[in-house]
Amino acid sequence: MNEILSLNKVTKSFQYKTAVNDVSFSIGKGEVVAILGPNGAGKTTTISMILGLLQPSSGEVKLFNRQPNEKQVREKIGTMLQEVSVIPGLKVSEILELIRSYYQQPLAMKDLIDLTGLTEQDLKTRAEKLSGGQKRRLSFALALAGDPEFIIFDEPTVGMDITSRNRFWQTVHYLAEQGKTIIFSTHYLQEADDAADRILLFKDGAIVADGTPAQIKARISKQSVSFIVDPERPLEKLYQHEEIDDIYRKNNRVYVQATNTDRVLELIFQEKIGARDIQIERGKLEEAFEQLTSGTKEAI
Amino acid sequence: MKTFQMQCKVEIIRILRNRYFVFWSLVMPIIFYYIFTNLVNSDVPNKAEWQAHYLMSMTVFSVMGSSMMTLGIRMVQERSQGWSTFIRITPLSDSVYFAAQMIGQSVIHALSITIIFIAGAFINSVSLTPIEWVMSGLWILLGSLPFLAIGTLIGLMKKVETAAGISNVIYMVLAVSGGLWMPLEVMPKMMQTIGKWLPSYNFGNGAWEIVRGELPNWKNILILVAYLAVFMLLSKYIRRKQEVA
Repeated sequence: MNEILSLNKVTKSFQYKTAVNDVSFSIGKGEVVAILGPNGAGKTTTISMILGLLQPSSGEVKLFNRQPNEKQVREKIGTMLQEVSVIPGLKVSEILELIRSYYQQPLAMKDLIDLTGLTEQDLKTRAEKLSGGQKRRLSFALALAGDPEFIIFDEPTVGMDITSRNRFWQTVHYLAEQGKTIIFSTHYLQEADDAADRILLFKDGAIVADGTPAQIKARISKQSVSFIVDPERPLEKLYQHEEIDDIYRKNNRVYVQATNTDRVLELIFQEKIGARDIQIERGKLEEAFEQLTSGTKEAI
Repeated sequence: MKTFQMQCKVEIIRILRNRYFVFWSLVMPIIFYYIFTNLVNSDVPNKAEWQAHYLMSMTVFSVMGSSMMTLGIRMVQERSQGWSTFIRITPLSDSVYFAAQMIGQSVIHALSITIIFIAGAFINSVSLTPIEWVMSGLWILLGSLPFLAIGTLIGLMKKVETAAGISNVIYMVLAVSGGLWMPLEVMPKMMQTIGKWLPSYNFGNGAWEIVRGELPNWKNILILVAYLAVFMLLSKYIRRKQEVA
């Protein structure tokens, strides 16, 4: 049984709005999955339901084939919530010892410190006196305290500086290599692209794309062939081919948009239009992201 | 078991590090005790009995305060700072968490009782029989239950400021009208009648009876148990309502 998480037709409605609408997906062991989407796409609501903090209005969430709030599930998961949580009156080292004591097989204190980059100074500081960055490190350490098999991060890098961010993703890579299953939400496309091997793209509470970063890119971003051609030369012949979606001129170049760029090349030579300096252009994932998450649903 | 011990230990550390607790539950009662038994009211008929009586008043005052305020405010803090949410995702069970809170709180109360009793023995050389010391200490420890239940009610509030403000008012009203600061007998008749039905009076009266060599009244016990039941049910009811919302 390699399925770690499954959501089956999960919907969550609040009084005035449906935050998550009929979402289904499953995650297998060892996958690193990004829930990508703009603010208000339903990422946090989905994560809260995965964690059992919210009950779905309908549908079913299963972790390790059990209900999210069962103790056996809790033993195997670790999480870092968007809202950083601290317990006042305790030093960081005491908090870590406390949380470690909740799990049957906690991660060794030394590993925890090494992985999260907590400093000696951090460990001695009382929770209420921690800076934003220190709180984030503590939060990360709390997520790993139980040596979880499945780790859930909700917008983990918000409020981190570049150094901590890099360090964080390095650790995530390391954890992924150890065979941990990881799911994280982000609205940074770059993060999803770099860190995840699968992206679930959320928009308006639904999944609008699910695949590897490359697949998503291939599917949604327009590809085109561009070339330089004598402006006098008519291009009508190209228009007659159905495979070609669009032709336009930009900066003295002609752009021919199509899903199959190999076929476009073939056509260019076949029609002998005298194209020079031919290039194949791939859409950027950022653009695809913009297209998908803003604007109309027709883009999908 | 390791979890439970750890959780208890942590709860105790947290209370001891709380400056409000140290001030309101240890320093203030001892200062009041000194003032009211040495600087004022020094012409009471039976001085030794008054000194023992007032020592009980102040100990009850201390334990009542930390039951309501320390517990209540800590609960609000934990919720407003996201800690309660995080805890729900860990394998820690609610019952272990709750039990540890109660045990931690009781250990702290036992400590407060001991410290204030020792202070009384030093300041006014209050001398009771060993049985009386132990009995009154136990009474105060157990009698704090209805106030812990009030603490859990206060703990349901949304903001730390509101919780602190409201619990302070309840604390002072209960202390004064329950005869903890000055005996009910010196108050107007009306106040006396009301006071006798308050949990604070019944809590105090049990201890006063013990140091007078008597046993606590059945009435005191019944009233405290009734209050405990009411506050617990109320707390449970509100919690359920909040969860639904």
